[in-house]
Amino acid sequence: MEPSLGSFFLVFSMSQGTPLNEAQALDWLRQLEDPGQRYYAAWWLGRMRSHHPEAVPLLIQALAERGPRPDPASGIDEPNPIARNAARALGKLADSRATDPLLEALESSDDGLREAAARSLGQLGAIKARRPMLRRLAPGPLVAGAPRPGTSRLMEPCEALLEALGALGWQEEDGSTITDREPLLAVVRAYADHERPLIRSAACRSLLQLTQEDGWGEQLVHLLQHNELQVRRAALLDLGATGWRLAGAAIARTLAENSLKLIALRGLVENSPARNQASPSPSPEEVELLLAMDDLL
Amino acid sequence: MPSALPDSRQVQVLMDAVQAAQTADDLTDAVEDLSACPHPMAIPCLIQVLGFNNPGAAVAAVDGLVAIGSAAVPAILAHLDEYNYGARAWSVRALAGIGDLRGLPLLERALAQDIGPSVRRAAARGMGGLQPHGFTAQQRQELAERILPQLKAACGDEEWIVRYAVAVGLESMEHWWQPPAAQRQRLLDILEPLADPQREAVPVVWLRARLALNRLAAPSPVTRA
Repeated sequence: MEPSLGSFFLVFSMSQGTPLNEAQALDWLRQLEDPGQRYYAAWWLGRMRSHHPEAVPLLIQALAERGPRPDPASGIDEPNPIARNAARALGKLADSRATDPLLEALESSDDGLREAAARSLGQLGAIKARRPMLRRLAPGPLVAGAPRPGTSRLMEPCEALLEALGALGWQEEDGSTITDREPLLAVVRAYADHERPLIRSAACRSLLQLTQEDGWGEQLVHLLQHNELQVRRAALLDLGATGWRLAGAAIARTLAENSLKLIALRGLVENSPARNQASPSPSPEEVELLLAMDDLL
Repeated sequence: MPSALPDSRQVQVLMDAVQAAQTADDLTDAVEDLSACPHPMAIPCLIQVLGFNNPGAAVAAVDGLVAIGSAAVPAILAHLDEYNYGARAWSVRALAGIGDLRGLPLLERALAQDIGPSVRRAAARGMGGLQPHGFTAQQRQELAERILPQLKAACGDEEWIVRYAVAVGLESMEHWWQPPAAQRQRLLDILEPLADPQREAVPVVWLRARLALNRLAAPSPVTRA
Protein backbone atom coordinates (compact mmCIF):
# COMPACT_ATOMS: atom_id res chain seq x y z
CA MET A 1 0.00 0.00 0.00
CA GLU A 2 0.99 3.62 -0.40
CA PRO A 3 2.88 4.85 2.64
CA SER A 4 0.74 6.99 4.84
CA LEU A 5 1.46 10.66 4.44
CA GLY A 6 -0.63 11.69 7.39
CA SER A 7 -1.81 15.20 7.59
CA PHE A 8 -0.17 16.35 4.39
CA PHE A 9 -2.41 14.11 2.41
CA LEU A 10 -5.38 15.36 4.33
CA VAL A 11 -4.44 18.98 3.78
CA PHE A 12 -4.03 18.30 0.09
CA SER A 13 -7.35 16.50 -0.20
CA MET A 14 -9.16 19.24 1.64
CA SER A 15 -7.75 21.97 -0.56
CA GLN A 16 -8.43 20.27 -3.86
CA GLY A 17 -10.11 23.38 -5.16
CA THR A 18 -6.80 25.23 -5.14
CA PRO A 19 -4.05 22.66 -5.65
CA LEU A 20 -0.40 23.47 -5.75
CA ASN A 21 0.73 23.71 -9.35
CA GLU A 22 3.85 22.22 -10.93
CA ALA A 23 5.85 25.48 -11.05
CA GLN A 24 5.18 26.06 -7.36
CA ALA A 25 6.08 22.47 -6.49
CA LEU A 26 9.42 22.87 -8.29
CA ASP A 27 10.05 26.17 -6.47
CA TRP A 28 9.26 24.53 -3.16
CA LEU A 29 11.65 21.69 -3.88
CA ARG A 30 14.38 24.10 -5.06
CA GLN A 31 14.34 26.28 -1.94
CA LEU A 32 16.22 25.06 1.14
CA GLU A 33 14.70 27.06 4.01
CA ASP A 34 11.44 25.23 4.60
CA PRO A 35 11.81 21.42 4.84
CA GLY A 36 8.04 21.00 5.08
CA GLN A 37 7.64 22.59 1.68
CA ARG A 38 10.37 20.39 0.23
CA TYR A 39 8.72 17.28 1.67
CA TYR A 40 5.34 18.19 0.28
CA ALA A 41 6.75 19.22 -3.10
CA ALA A 42 8.59 15.91 -3.50
CA TRP A 43 5.38 14.04 -2.80
CA TRP A 44 3.40 16.26 -5.15
CA LEU A 45 5.74 15.77 -8.13
CA GLY A 46 5.44 11.99 -7.81
CA ARG A 47 1.74 11.96 -7.20
CA MET A 48 1.09 14.18 -10.23
CA ARG A 49 3.54 12.22 -12.40
CA SER A 50 5.38 15.42 -13.30
CA HIS A 51 7.07 15.39 -16.71
CA HIS A 52 8.93 18.64 -16.10
CA PRO A 53 12.62 18.25 -17.08
CA GLU A 54 13.75 19.65 -13.72
CA ALA A 55 11.64 17.31 -11.61
CA VAL A 56 13.90 14.24 -11.71
CA PRO A 57 17.21 16.12 -11.15
CA LEU A 58 15.71 18.03 -8.22
CA LEU A 59 14.32 14.84 -6.70
CA ILE A 60 17.68 13.09 -7.09
CA GLN A 61 19.25 16.00 -5.21
CA ALA A 62 16.59 15.72 -2.51
CA LEU A 63 17.25 11.98 -2.25
CA ALA A 64 20.70 12.78 -0.84
CA GLU A 65 19.30 14.92 1.95
CA ARG A 66 19.60 13.54 5.47
CA GLY A 67 18.06 15.04 8.55
CA PRO A 68 16.57 14.14 11.92
CA ARG A 69 12.88 13.47 12.42
CA PRO A 70 11.24 16.90 12.28
CA ASP A 71 8.98 18.39 14.91
CA PRO A 72 5.82 16.25 14.92
CA ALA A 73 3.80 19.48 14.92
CA SER A 74 4.90 19.90 11.30
CA GLY A 75 2.70 16.94 10.39
CA ILE A 76 5.70 14.85 9.29
CA ASP A 77 6.39 11.76 11.31
CA GLU A 78 9.45 10.02 9.88
CA PRO A 79 13.22 10.53 9.78
CA ASN A 80 14.87 11.63 6.54
CA PRO A 81 11.44 12.64 5.30
CA ILE A 82 12.58 14.57 2.24
CA ALA A 83 14.84 11.78 0.98
CA ARG A 84 12.12 9.20 1.56
CA ASN A 85 9.51 11.18 -0.33
CA ALA A 86 11.99 11.85 -3.11
CA ALA A 87 12.67 8.10 -3.35
CA ARG A 88 8.92 7.37 -3.53
CA ALA A 89 8.38 10.04 -6.17
CA LEU A 90 11.23 8.80 -8.34
CA GLY A 91 9.57 5.39 -8.54
CA LYS A 92 6.56 7.02 -10.15
CA LEU A 93 8.37 9.13 -12.73
CA ALA A 94 9.77 6.27 -14.84
CA ASP A 95 13.14 7.92 -15.50
CA SER A 96 16.14 5.60 -15.52
CA ARG A 97 18.46 8.41 -14.32
CA ALA A 98 16.99 7.66 -10.89
CA THR A 99 18.28 4.08 -10.84
CA ASP A 100 21.84 4.65 -9.60
CA PRO A 101 20.89 7.19 -6.92
CA LEU A 102 18.18 4.81 -5.71
CA LEU A 103 20.67 1.93 -5.63
CA GLU A 104 22.79 4.13 -3.38
CA ALA A 105 19.77 4.82 -1.17
CA LEU A 106 19.25 1.06 -0.96
CA GLU A 107 22.51 0.96 1.03
CA SER A 108 21.41 3.66 3.49
CA SER A 109 21.47 2.92 7.21
CA ASP A 110 17.86 4.20 7.34
CA ASP A 111 15.69 1.14 6.72
CA GLY A 112 12.71 3.34 5.88
CA LEU A 113 14.70 4.94 3.09
CA ARG A 114 15.84 1.49 1.93
CA GLU A 115 12.19 0.48 1.84
CA ALA A 116 11.18 3.45 -0.30
CA ALA A 117 14.16 2.87 -2.60
CA ALA A 118 13.34 -0.83 -3.00
CA ARG A 119 9.73 -0.12 -3.93
CA SER A 120 10.76 2.49 -6.45
CA LEU A 121 13.46 0.31 -8.00
CA GLY A 122 10.81 -2.36 -8.48
CA GLN A 123 8.46 0.17 -10.07
CA LEU A 124 11.23 1.33 -12.40
CA GLY A 125 12.00 -2.26 -13.36
CA ALA A 126 15.63 -1.63 -12.42
CA ILE A 127 17.22 -4.99 -13.16
CA LYS A 128 20.49 -3.81 -11.60
CA ALA A 129 18.71 -3.79 -8.24
CA ARG A 130 18.01 -7.52 -8.25
CA ARG A 131 21.41 -8.53 -6.89
CA PRO A 132 21.66 -6.01 -4.02
CA MET A 133 18.07 -6.68 -3.00
CA LEU A 134 18.63 -10.41 -3.02
CA ARG A 135 21.76 -9.88 -0.93
CA ARG A 136 19.69 -8.06 1.73
CA LEU A 137 17.15 -10.88 1.90
CA ALA A 138 19.63 -13.75 1.70
CA PRO A 139 20.36 -13.97 5.46
CA GLY A 140 16.80 -15.26 5.76
CA PRO A 141 13.64 -14.62 7.75
CA LEU A 142 15.30 -15.16 11.12
CA VAL A 143 18.00 -12.55 10.46
CA ALA A 144 16.94 -10.06 7.78
CA GLY A 145 13.35 -10.76 8.80
CA ALA A 146 13.93 -10.50 12.55
CA PRO A 147 12.17 -7.75 14.48
CA ARG A 148 14.19 -4.56 14.86
CA PRO A 149 14.49 -4.09 18.63
CA GLY A 150 12.27 -1.38 20.03
CA THR A 151 10.25 -0.94 16.84
CA SER A 152 7.51 -2.70 14.94
CA ARG A 153 9.76 -2.94 11.90
CA LEU A 154 12.05 -5.71 10.69
CA MET A 155 15.82 -5.54 10.22
CA GLU A 156 15.30 -5.26 6.47
CA PRO A 157 12.27 -3.85 4.64
CA CYS A 158 11.38 -7.42 3.61
CA GLU A 159 7.95 -6.68 2.23
CA ALA A 160 9.25 -4.06 -0.19
CA LEU A 161 12.26 -6.16 -1.20
CA LEU A 162 10.17 -9.26 -1.87
CA GLU A 163 7.63 -7.33 -3.90
CA ALA A 164 10.32 -5.63 -5.93
CA LEU A 165 12.00 -8.95 -6.76
CA GLY A 166 8.69 -10.28 -8.02
CA ALA A 167 8.16 -7.18 -10.14
CA LEU A 168 11.62 -7.47 -11.71
CA GLY A 169 10.96 -10.96 -13.04
CA TRP A 170 13.71 -12.91 -14.74
CA GLN A 171 15.10 -10.60 -17.36
CA GLU A 172 18.82 -9.78 -17.32
CA GLU A 173 20.35 -6.44 -18.23
CA ASP A 174 21.55 -7.80 -21.58
CA GLY A 175 18.01 -8.83 -22.49
CA SER A 176 18.54 -12.53 -21.81
CA THR A 177 16.50 -14.51 -19.29
CA ILE A 178 17.87 -16.06 -16.12
CA THR A 179 17.89 -19.84 -16.42
CA ASP A 180 19.31 -20.79 -13.03
CA ARG A 181 16.32 -19.69 -10.98
CA GLU A 182 16.58 -21.84 -7.90
CA PRO A 183 18.98 -19.65 -5.88
CA LEU A 184 16.64 -16.65 -6.04
CA LEU A 185 13.50 -18.73 -5.51
CA ALA A 186 15.05 -20.42 -2.47
CA VAL A 187 15.67 -17.05 -0.82
CA VAL A 188 12.16 -15.79 -1.52
CA ARG A 189 10.48 -19.09 -0.56
CA ALA A 190 11.97 -18.92 2.92
CA TYR A 191 9.83 -15.83 3.58
CA ALA A 192 6.59 -17.63 2.66
CA ASP A 193 6.75 -19.09 6.20
CA HIS A 194 7.59 -15.83 7.98
CA GLU A 195 5.74 -15.34 11.25
CA ARG A 196 4.17 -12.13 10.01
CA PRO A 197 1.27 -12.62 7.57
CA LEU A 198 2.12 -9.43 5.68
CA ILE A 199 5.55 -10.82 4.85
CA ARG A 200 4.03 -14.16 3.84
CA SER A 201 1.66 -12.28 1.57
CA ALA A 202 4.50 -10.37 -0.08
CA ALA A 203 6.50 -13.59 -0.55
CA CYS A 204 3.55 -15.41 -2.12
CA ARG A 205 2.92 -12.46 -4.42
CA SER A 206 6.52 -12.48 -5.52
CA LEU A 207 6.61 -16.26 -5.99
CA LEU A 208 3.36 -16.24 -7.96
CA GLN A 209 4.80 -13.62 -10.28
CA LEU A 210 8.09 -15.46 -10.62
CA THR A 211 6.75 -19.00 -11.05
CA GLN A 212 3.10 -18.64 -12.16
CA GLU A 213 2.41 -21.62 -9.87
CA ASP A 214 -1.20 -21.64 -8.66
CA GLY A 215 -0.21 -22.84 -5.19
CA TRP A 216 1.08 -19.37 -4.28
CA GLY A 217 -2.17 -17.82 -5.46
CA GLU A 218 -4.08 -20.26 -3.29
CA GLN A 219 -2.05 -19.18 -0.27
CA LEU A 220 -2.90 -15.54 -1.01
CA VAL A 221 -6.58 -16.43 -1.29
CA HIS A 222 -6.27 -18.12 2.07
CA LEU A 223 -4.93 -14.85 3.54
CA LEU A 224 -8.09 -13.08 2.30
CA GLN A 225 -9.81 -14.81 5.23
CA HIS A 226 -7.27 -13.72 7.84
CA ASN A 227 -8.87 -12.27 10.94
CA GLU A 228 -6.96 -8.97 10.67
CA LEU A 229 -8.35 -6.47 8.18
CA GLN A 230 -4.84 -5.16 7.49
CA VAL A 231 -3.76 -8.62 6.27
CA ARG A 232 -6.84 -9.05 4.10
CA ARG A 233 -6.13 -5.66 2.56
CA ALA A 234 -2.53 -6.56 1.78
CA ALA A 235 -3.52 -9.90 0.24
CA LEU A 236 -6.08 -8.10 -1.94
CA LEU A 237 -3.49 -5.72 -3.29
CA ASP A 238 -0.95 -8.51 -3.71
CA LEU A 239 -3.40 -10.61 -5.74
CA GLY A 240 -4.20 -7.56 -7.85
CA ALA A 241 -0.51 -7.07 -8.58
CA THR A 242 -0.14 -10.65 -9.78
CA GLY A 243 -3.26 -10.65 -11.95
CA TRP A 244 -4.08 -14.20 -10.83
CA ARG A 245 -7.62 -14.44 -12.18
CA LEU A 246 -8.67 -17.55 -10.31
CA ALA A 247 -8.96 -15.27 -7.25
CA GLY A 248 -11.82 -13.20 -8.71
CA ALA A 249 -14.70 -14.71 -6.77
CA ALA A 250 -12.72 -14.86 -3.51
CA ILE A 251 -11.79 -11.18 -3.85
CA ALA A 252 -15.42 -10.19 -4.40
CA ARG A 253 -16.37 -12.03 -1.19
CA THR A 254 -13.58 -10.67 1.02
CA LEU A 255 -14.56 -8.65 4.06
CA ALA A 256 -12.80 -5.41 3.18
CA GLU A 257 -13.54 -2.02 1.65
CA ASN A 258 -15.06 -2.16 -1.81
CA SER A 259 -12.47 0.39 -2.97
CA LEU A 260 -9.66 -2.11 -2.34
CA LYS A 261 -11.57 -5.00 -3.85
CA LEU A 262 -12.11 -2.87 -6.96
CA ILE A 263 -8.39 -2.13 -7.19
CA ALA A 264 -7.64 -5.84 -6.82
CA LEU A 265 -10.13 -6.84 -9.51
CA ARG A 266 -8.76 -4.15 -11.79
CA GLY A 267 -5.37 -5.79 -11.27
CA LEU A 268 -6.75 -9.19 -12.30
CA VAL A 269 -8.05 -7.68 -15.52
CA GLU A 270 -4.98 -5.62 -16.36
CA ASN A 271 -2.03 -7.57 -14.95
CA SER A 272 -2.91 -11.10 -16.00
CA PRO A 273 -0.62 -12.80 -18.50
CA ALA A 274 -3.89 -13.84 -20.21
CA ARG A 275 -4.76 -10.24 -21.15
CA ASN A 276 -4.77 -9.80 -24.91
CA GLN A 277 -3.26 -6.34 -25.27
CA ALA A 278 -4.44 -6.04 -28.86
CA SER A 279 -8.12 -6.61 -28.14
CA PRO A 280 -10.30 -3.52 -27.58
CA SER A 281 -13.10 -5.68 -26.13
CA PRO A 282 -12.99 -7.75 -22.95
CA SER A 283 -12.74 -11.56 -23.20
CA PRO A 284 -15.54 -13.62 -21.59
CA GLU A 285 -13.31 -14.17 -18.56
CA GLU A 286 -12.71 -10.42 -18.32
CA VAL A 287 -16.44 -9.70 -18.65
CA GLU A 288 -17.00 -11.83 -15.59
CA LEU A 289 -14.44 -9.79 -13.62
CA LEU A 290 -15.97 -6.53 -14.84
CA LEU A 291 -19.43 -7.61 -13.71
CA ALA A 292 -18.01 -8.48 -10.29
CA MET A 293 -16.60 -4.93 -10.19
CA ASP A 294 -19.99 -3.47 -11.15
CA ASP A 295 -21.53 -5.07 -8.09
CA LEU A 296 -19.00 -3.35 -5.83
CA LEU A 297 -19.57 0.20 -7.05
CA MET B 1 -38.61 -7.90 -1.33
CA PRO B 2 -39.61 -10.14 1.61
CA SER B 3 -42.82 -12.06 1.16
CA ALA B 4 -44.02 -11.09 4.62
CA LEU B 5 -42.68 -8.71 7.24
CA PRO B 6 -40.85 -10.50 10.02
CA ASP B 7 -42.49 -9.87 13.34
CA SER B 8 -41.20 -7.00 15.39
CA ARG B 9 -40.08 -9.04 18.41
CA GLN B 10 -37.84 -11.05 16.16
CA VAL B 11 -36.39 -7.84 14.67
CA GLN B 12 -35.82 -6.41 18.13
CA VAL B 13 -33.83 -9.50 19.14
CA LEU B 14 -31.68 -9.13 16.03
CA MET B 15 -31.10 -5.41 16.71
CA ASP B 16 -30.11 -6.20 20.28
CA ALA B 17 -27.55 -8.63 18.90
CA VAL B 18 -26.08 -5.86 16.75
CA GLN B 19 -25.79 -3.57 19.76
CA ALA B 20 -24.23 -6.34 21.85
CA ALA B 21 -21.62 -7.43 19.29
CA GLN B 22 -18.14 -7.31 20.81
CA THR B 23 -15.90 -8.03 17.82
CA ALA B 24 -15.87 -6.90 14.20
CA ASP B 25 -16.80 -10.39 13.03
CA ASP B 26 -19.66 -10.70 15.51
CA LEU B 27 -20.95 -7.33 14.33
CA THR B 28 -20.83 -8.44 10.70
CA ASP B 29 -22.68 -11.65 11.53
CA ALA B 30 -25.31 -9.78 13.56
CA VAL B 31 -25.89 -7.18 10.83
CA GLU B 32 -26.16 -9.92 8.20
CA ASP B 33 -28.84 -11.61 10.31
CA LEU B 34 -30.69 -8.33 10.77
CA SER B 35 -30.49 -7.50 7.08
CA ALA B 36 -31.90 -10.91 6.21
CA CYS B 37 -35.11 -9.79 7.98
CA PRO B 38 -35.61 -6.43 6.33
CA HIS B 39 -38.06 -4.49 8.49
CA PRO B 40 -38.52 -0.70 8.70
CA MET B 41 -37.88 -0.92 12.45
CA ALA B 42 -34.26 -1.80 11.67
CA ILE B 43 -33.59 1.34 9.63
CA PRO B 44 -31.99 3.50 12.37
CA CYS B 45 -29.84 0.59 13.52
CA LEU B 46 -28.64 -0.18 9.99
CA ILE B 47 -27.87 3.48 9.30
CA GLN B 48 -25.83 3.64 12.48
CA VAL B 49 -23.73 0.67 11.31
CA LEU B 50 -22.71 2.58 8.17
CA GLY B 51 -20.55 4.81 10.37
CA PHE B 52 -18.71 2.06 12.23
CA ASN B 53 -15.74 1.73 9.86
CA ASN B 54 -16.43 -2.00 9.57
CA PRO B 55 -16.63 -2.80 5.87
CA GLY B 56 -18.15 -6.26 6.30
CA ALA B 57 -20.91 -4.94 8.54
CA ALA B 58 -21.47 -1.93 6.28
CA VAL B 59 -21.91 -4.11 3.20
CA ALA B 60 -24.53 -6.11 5.10
CA ALA B 61 -26.24 -2.94 6.35
CA VAL B 62 -26.45 -1.53 2.82
CA ASP B 63 -27.98 -4.83 1.67
CA GLY B 64 -30.54 -4.53 4.45
CA LEU B 65 -31.42 -0.93 3.60
CA VAL B 66 -31.72 -1.77 -0.10
CA ALA B 67 -34.02 -4.69 0.78
CA ILE B 68 -36.19 -2.39 2.90
CA GLY B 69 -36.27 -0.04 -0.07
CA SER B 70 -38.11 3.27 -0.36
CA ALA B 71 -39.16 3.31 3.28
CA ALA B 72 -35.50 3.79 4.22
CA VAL B 73 -34.88 6.79 1.96
CA PRO B 74 -36.07 9.66 4.21
CA ALA B 75 -34.00 8.39 7.15
CA ILE B 76 -30.88 7.90 5.03
CA LEU B 77 -31.21 11.44 3.69
CA ALA B 78 -31.77 12.83 7.17
CA HIS B 79 -28.78 11.11 8.71
CA LEU B 80 -26.10 11.78 6.16
CA ASP B 81 -22.73 12.08 7.88
CA GLU B 82 -21.03 15.22 6.59
CA TYR B 83 -17.76 14.45 8.37
CA ASN B 84 -17.20 10.79 7.57
CA TYR B 85 -16.84 10.08 3.89
CA GLY B 86 -16.68 6.34 4.44
CA ALA B 87 -20.13 6.48 6.02
CA ARG B 88 -21.34 8.87 3.34
CA ALA B 89 -20.20 6.50 0.61
CA TRP B 90 -22.21 3.68 2.17
CA SER B 91 -25.29 5.94 2.42
CA VAL B 92 -24.96 6.96 -1.21
CA ARG B 93 -24.50 3.31 -2.10
CA ALA B 94 -27.69 2.39 -0.28
CA LEU B 95 -29.59 5.19 -2.07
CA ALA B 96 -28.08 4.06 -5.36
CA GLY B 97 -29.23 0.50 -4.71
CA ILE B 98 -32.76 1.59 -3.83
CA GLY B 99 -33.05 3.77 -6.93
CA ASP B 100 -35.67 6.04 -5.35
CA LEU B 101 -35.95 9.40 -7.10
CA ARG B 102 -35.99 11.27 -3.78
CA GLY B 103 -32.33 10.39 -3.53
CA LEU B 104 -31.44 11.97 -6.87
CA PRO B 105 -30.54 15.48 -5.68
CA LEU B 106 -28.14 13.95 -3.20
CA LEU B 107 -26.59 11.68 -5.83
CA GLU B 108 -26.16 14.67 -8.13
CA ARG B 109 -24.46 16.74 -5.48
CA ALA B 110 -22.25 13.80 -4.54
CA LEU B 111 -21.13 13.13 -8.09
CA ALA B 112 -20.28 16.75 -8.77
CA GLN B 113 -18.76 17.80 -5.47
CA ASP B 114 -17.86 15.05 -3.05
CA ILE B 115 -14.13 14.77 -2.27
CA GLY B 116 -14.38 11.00 -1.75
CA PRO B 117 -13.97 8.99 -4.98
CA SER B 118 -15.94 6.15 -3.37
CA VAL B 119 -18.86 8.53 -2.89
CA ARG B 120 -18.68 9.85 -6.46
CA ARG B 121 -18.48 6.33 -7.89
CA ALA B 122 -21.54 5.16 -5.96
CA ALA B 123 -23.40 8.27 -7.11
CA ALA B 124 -22.56 7.70 -10.78
CA ARG B 125 -23.78 4.14 -10.60
CA GLY B 126 -26.91 5.21 -8.73
CA MET B 127 -27.85 7.94 -11.20
CA GLY B 128 -27.84 5.34 -13.95
CA GLY B 129 -29.79 2.83 -11.90
CA LEU B 130 -32.81 4.90 -10.91
CA GLN B 131 -36.19 3.22 -10.91
CA PRO B 132 -38.72 5.80 -12.10
CA HIS B 133 -41.80 3.66 -11.55
CA GLY B 134 -44.91 4.87 -13.27
CA PHE B 135 -43.14 7.51 -15.38
CA THR B 136 -44.48 8.29 -18.83
CA ALA B 137 -42.13 8.20 -21.82
CA GLN B 138 -42.04 12.00 -21.69
CA GLN B 139 -41.09 12.03 -18.00
CA ARG B 140 -38.39 9.44 -18.55
CA GLN B 141 -37.00 11.52 -21.38
CA GLU B 142 -36.91 14.59 -19.11
CA LEU B 143 -35.15 12.61 -16.43
CA ALA B 144 -32.59 11.40 -18.96
CA GLU B 145 -32.05 14.99 -20.13
CA ARG B 146 -31.29 15.94 -16.55
CA ILE B 147 -28.89 13.07 -15.89
CA LEU B 148 -27.00 12.71 -19.18
CA PRO B 149 -25.01 15.97 -19.00
CA GLN B 150 -23.98 15.20 -15.44
CA LEU B 151 -22.66 11.76 -16.29
CA LYS B 152 -20.98 13.21 -19.35
CA ALA B 153 -19.20 15.78 -17.20
CA ALA B 154 -18.08 13.02 -14.83
CA CYS B 155 -16.30 11.28 -17.74
CA GLY B 156 -13.57 13.82 -16.95
CA ASP B 157 -13.26 12.81 -13.30
CA GLU B 158 -9.62 12.37 -12.29
CA GLU B 159 -10.27 9.04 -10.56
CA TRP B 160 -10.46 5.95 -12.77
CA ILE B 161 -13.09 4.27 -10.62
CA VAL B 162 -15.48 7.19 -11.06
CA ARG B 163 -15.06 7.06 -14.84
CA TYR B 164 -15.63 3.30 -14.63
CA ALA B 165 -18.84 3.86 -12.67
CA VAL B 166 -19.96 6.44 -15.23
CA ALA B 167 -19.67 3.80 -17.96
CA VAL B 168 -21.77 1.43 -15.86
CA GLY B 169 -24.27 4.20 -15.08
CA LEU B 170 -24.66 5.18 -18.73
CA GLU B 171 -25.26 1.58 -19.73
CA SER B 172 -27.88 1.04 -17.05
CA MET B 173 -29.77 4.25 -17.95
CA GLU B 174 -30.94 2.40 -20.99
CA HIS B 175 -33.08 0.07 -18.89
CA TRP B 176 -35.45 2.75 -17.65
CA TRP B 177 -34.99 5.33 -20.37
CA GLN B 178 -35.68 2.98 -23.31
CA PRO B 179 -34.60 5.72 -25.67
CA PRO B 180 -35.69 5.93 -29.29
CA ALA B 181 -32.87 5.35 -31.79
CA ALA B 182 -31.77 8.97 -32.13
CA GLN B 183 -31.57 9.41 -28.36
CA ARG B 184 -29.79 6.11 -27.97
CA GLN B 185 -27.02 7.45 -30.17
CA ARG B 186 -26.35 10.19 -27.58
CA LEU B 187 -25.65 7.49 -25.02
CA LEU B 188 -23.21 5.79 -27.38
CA ASP B 189 -21.53 9.12 -28.21
CA ILE B 190 -20.82 9.81 -24.55
CA LEU B 191 -19.43 6.30 -24.01
CA GLU B 192 -17.23 6.35 -27.10
CA PRO B 193 -14.31 8.43 -25.72
CA LEU B 194 -14.26 6.32 -22.53
CA ALA B 195 -13.96 3.20 -24.68
CA ASP B 196 -11.04 4.58 -26.70
CA PRO B 197 -7.57 3.48 -25.49
CA GLN B 198 -6.13 6.60 -27.14
CA ARG B 199 -8.22 8.88 -24.95
CA GLU B 200 -8.74 6.80 -21.80
CA ALA B 201 -5.52 5.84 -20.03
CA VAL B 202 -6.82 3.08 -17.77
CA PRO B 203 -7.44 -0.27 -19.53
CA VAL B 204 -10.14 -1.49 -17.18
CA VAL B 205 -12.13 1.71 -17.84
CA TRP B 206 -12.01 1.45 -21.62
CA LEU B 207 -12.75 -2.27 -21.43
CA ARG B 208 -15.85 -1.57 -19.34
CA ALA B 209 -16.99 1.23 -21.63
CA ARG B 210 -16.47 -1.06 -24.63
CA LEU B 211 -18.54 -3.74 -22.92
CA ALA B 212 -21.30 -1.17 -22.42
CA LEU B 213 -21.16 -0.17 -26.07
CA ASN B 214 -21.21 -3.79 -27.21
CA ARG B 215 -24.21 -4.56 -25.06
CA LEU B 216 -26.09 -1.41 -26.07
CA ALA B 217 -25.46 -2.28 -29.70
CA ALA B 218 -26.77 -5.82 -29.25
CA PRO B 219 -30.08 -6.28 -31.10
CA SER B 220 -32.05 -7.43 -28.07
CA PRO B 221 -31.76 -5.79 -24.64
CA VAL B 222 -29.32 -7.66 -22.43
CA THR B 223 -30.58 -8.41 -18.95
CA ARG B 224 -28.12 -7.99 -16.14
CA ALA B 225 -27.57 -10.92 -13.82
